[in-house]
Amino acid sequence: MQGVANRLGVVFFPAFDWAISPTHPERQERLLYTMDQLKEEGVFDIPGIDEHRPDEAGMDDVRRVHFSFPDTESNLTPSHLISAGGAIKAARLFMEGHADKAFALVRPPGHHAMKAVHGGRGFCSVNIEAIMVEYLREHYGVGRVAIVDTDCHHGDGTQDVYWHDPETLYISLHQDGRTLFPGSGFASELGGPKALGKNINIPLPPRTSDEGFLHAVDEVVLPVLEDFQPEIVINSAGQDNHFSDPLTDMNFSAQGYAALNQRLDPDIAVLEGGYSIHGALPYVNTGIILAMAGMDYSYVREPDFDPERLRQDNKTREYIHQICSSARQSYFNPPTSGISRDMEDGYFIRSKDVFYDTDFITERQKEHLLDCDDCPGLLLIESSSTRRKNCLGIEIPRGACQRCRNAGETYFDKARHNESLTNMQLIDRPGGAVRRYRRE
Amino acid sequence: MLLGIDVGGTHTDAVLLDRSGLLASAKVETRQDDLLQSIRTALGRIRQTAGDVEVQRFNLSTTLCTNAIVQDDLTPVGVMVSAGPGMDPEQFRIGDHYEVIRGALDHRGEEIQPLDLDQVERCASRFLDQGLRVFAAVDKFSPRNPGHEEQMIDALSERADFLTAGHQISGQLNFPRRIATSYYNSAVWPLFNSFANSVEDSLREYNLFPQLNILKADGGTMPLSQARRTPVESIFSGPAASVMGLMALCDIEEDALMLDVGGTTTDVGVFAGGDPLVEAERVELVHRPTLVRAMKTESIGLGGDSAVGLDGEGLLVGPRRRGACLARGGGQATLVDALNCIAEECFGDREASVQGMHDLGAGLQCSMEDAAQQVVRHSCRRLREQTMAMLERINERPVYTVHEFLESRRIEPRRLYLMGGPARVMAPYLSREFGLPVIVPQNAGVANALGAALARPTLQAELFADTSRGNLTVPVLGRQETVTRDYSLKKAKQDLAEDLCRHVRDSYHWTVDPSEAEVVEESAMNMVRGMHTVGQDIRVKCQIKPGITPEFEGVVKCACKELPTG
Repeated sequence: MQGVANRLGVVFFPAFDWAISPTHPERQERLLYTMDQLKEEGVFDIPGIDEHRPDEAGMDDVRRVHFSFPDTESNLTPSHLISAGGAIKAARLFMEGHADKAFALVRPPGHHAMKAVHGGRGFCSVNIEAIMVEYLREHYGVGRVAIVDTDCHHGDGTQDVYWHDPETLYISLHQDGRTLFPGSGFASELGGPKALGKNINIPLPPRTSDEGFLHAVDEVVLPVLEDFQPEIVINSAGQDNHFSDPLTDMNFSAQGYAALNQRLDPDIAVLEGGYSIHGALPYVNTGIILAMAGMDYSYVREPDFDPERLRQDNKTREYIHQICSSARQSYFNPPTSGISRDMEDGYFIRSKDVFYDTDFITERQKEHLLDCDDCPGLLLIESSSTRRKNCLGIEIPRGACQRCRNAGETYFDKARHNESLTNMQLIDRPGGAVRRYRRE
Repeated sequence: MLLGIDVGGTHTDAVLLDRSGLLASAKVETRQDDLLQSIRTALGRIRQTAGDVEVQRFNLSTTLCTNAIVQDDLTPVGVMVSAGPGMDPEQFRIGDHYEVIRGALDHRGEEIQPLDLDQVERCASRFLDQGLRVFAAVDKFSPRNPGHEEQMIDALSERADFLTAGHQISGQLNFPRRIATSYYNSAVWPLFNSFANSVEDSLREYNLFPQLNILKADGGTMPLSQARRTPVESIFSGPAASVMGLMALCDIEEDALMLDVGGTTTDVGVFAGGDPLVEAERVELVHRPTLVRAMKTESIGLGGDSAVGLDGEGLLVGPRRRGACLARGGGQATLVDALNCIAEECFGDREASVQGMHDLGAGLQCSMEDAAQQVVRHSCRRLREQTMAMLERINERPVYTVHEFLESRRIEPRRLYLMGGPARVMAPYLSREFGLPVIVPQNAGVANALGAALARPTLQAELFADTSRGNLTVPVLGRQETVTRDYSLKKAKQDLAEDLCRHVRDSYHWTVDPSEAEVVEESAMNMVRGMHTVGQDIRVKCQIKPGITPEFEGVVKCACKELPTG
């Protein structure tokens, strides 16, 4: 038998007893056929590919990342903690040298969960990649991280969590937001004022095929990674770009996913979406596992794979080339004009409305980032939702200067006496602490 | 009366017992080149002691097939596989006659490419021209739909001495293991079959007409008629025999460990709530994992004959073995020599052992006694470390539901059962090292043969039903039928338990109550297409677990007193 080029740790947790609702795409059955395919292929018997049990993420691991309102417990289930714990386990396998690469094949997904959380949106309640990345930073002192999101839906949650973080490069390849949930992920979304160009969106047109995805990887993702020099590359490995996915309109294949993975060469992959549970996931996951292990994947094909039928037309090809060249520009030469830099009292401000489609909640947010010359700056998020009004999140970021640390503490203490606020959470990264206050 | 024989690597042990207890036992050296003769010699000894007796049942544990596979003394097999998308089936090539036939099923067992019957026919003709007479046919996803395997079998059956179809071996999904297991099953068949004939002849010669069963690696028996169909299941029955022997000798009701300290290795077995752990995907042969169900045992490369020495780091015990210990005239100090210096009863030439530990003490700058103590403690520490690592792997095994993740019970041993020659002397040291009470059963010398004699049948089967397509299969029992939309998990569990019991009754001539058929895995998931539930995917795995023949329970129980903790 062919040996592996990379020792691969696979954390497989299909959560066969968990669903959002009985007929929801995120249901018990989702990874059943993937399990059958992987078991029948005998992939976990291949010397160098090992299967692992997930960890369970702790509340601290979630609170380090999210402002959860009214509180962390009410926004998640044990399955979310195991899914996030699966990502953490994958990261630990990689960091501790038990594997050269790791794949968290877990559910539920997480990339639509934003910094502030009032409930579930896009099938996500906690951002499992962000929880993993911040665990790595907290426990292993990791700095620069790149997350390449190949889910068909824009990872608006991950984008939001890292919007102001210059140490985290987020690149998303997805179906154009004008044609698909969540309706964001445009080329102009480039990151906050202190992290401009560290958020790259490549909104691909419907019917993009293997050729288009691989073009985006070769022309944008790889050169940008080469320049950014991350310590760790993470693939948010959503699988709903597949030609058979019921929720999307793309033409990506198992061969394409495997080739993308091979070129991207991520250290850690984490499953996100992908709902063609019968015709795509068994093959795509087999392809990704073989590609990550550095093995031959040329026999991995869907029964109904027909490259001719999936070929993209010239117009689509030209459009993709154009999108990619502008995405590349926005990293290497971020625009200086036309970027929103509204300020109030020394803070950059940003307002937005968030809709939680899974739990049917609407939220209105106002975000303040202290314009600090010495650090990424203190972050404040004022948030009100149809479920919980007048909440406040304060984050003293990693590497915060003393002024921002003091300002954050003072702000929290003052806010506790503000009768109009209902819920408060202070994430103090340099101090390694989270403080919460809830007014009954 | 029951007869049990365990043909081991060094010794062949035999016991004869009835409901009053042990009547006769014998231990003879195994002749590796003539296992049949070893069995005959042991039988002869038993008859010397017990005279002419009437034996109702004879259970035999033998290394015949294991040896044949390990020594590559195999009959050439014509292997036909059919794969479909996934891994390249060339990766799983085995033997000198392996052909991939075009055709494919998907993971639901639906045909995505018909089997190329012309290619099957050409391949069959070529195999026959090459003089092949035993075959294996294996298709990817055949447990979901054995159709393609059956087509391959049909092309060969009239011209074959023996055939293995993958789905008859196991209902577990694992194509590479199914290929290897089917191949080995056919490759050992000619040898096993003629051996079985010879054993039957020998029994007749001795005027014995028992029901003859073969011990399997999972600690259960199969009747000879079944063993002639699945001889591969007789491999690695040795460690299973010692686990069963321990169960015959002691009442084990809690989580426990068994350490069987042999010459070169120590076998570790694990009990959960008194039941020995059995795994469906356990046995690996010549680096090929198989689907042979087996006791969860691991061998640690440390035993009584492990050589003792010094290296730059300090003391070293094993894994090398350099012949006999000093006490038996060997040239290198071993663990047995160290034990000989601290034991009350001495073994062989005690002076030689003392001299060896004296020399070792000079290197370690300590007394002879200290050196011996250090060797024993060092050995015990290694045994504990590796045993704990094994337990950790068991406790950390993957789980697939939130419920199992949160609720699955960890195995936490409460007692340590020790077997093997050095067991008694090592007991206080192992007890201290493991922090557990230790039990050294009496009669442990013939435990393997007792285990073989008292083992009862085991069987496992998997049921798979898809109510949207309306089909149901139980691959190992050869059952394929249609089911209606309202077929349920409850019905599936009941059906499989009954099937299993019926099969054991008809083919194994053994009566079991359906309540003894234990459901080990079950799931029922709604299959949703679009927004509609179109049916259920139902899976049940059921087993008749290993155990001691009920009417003989307790007849050889020994006084399993805990030794005082060291």
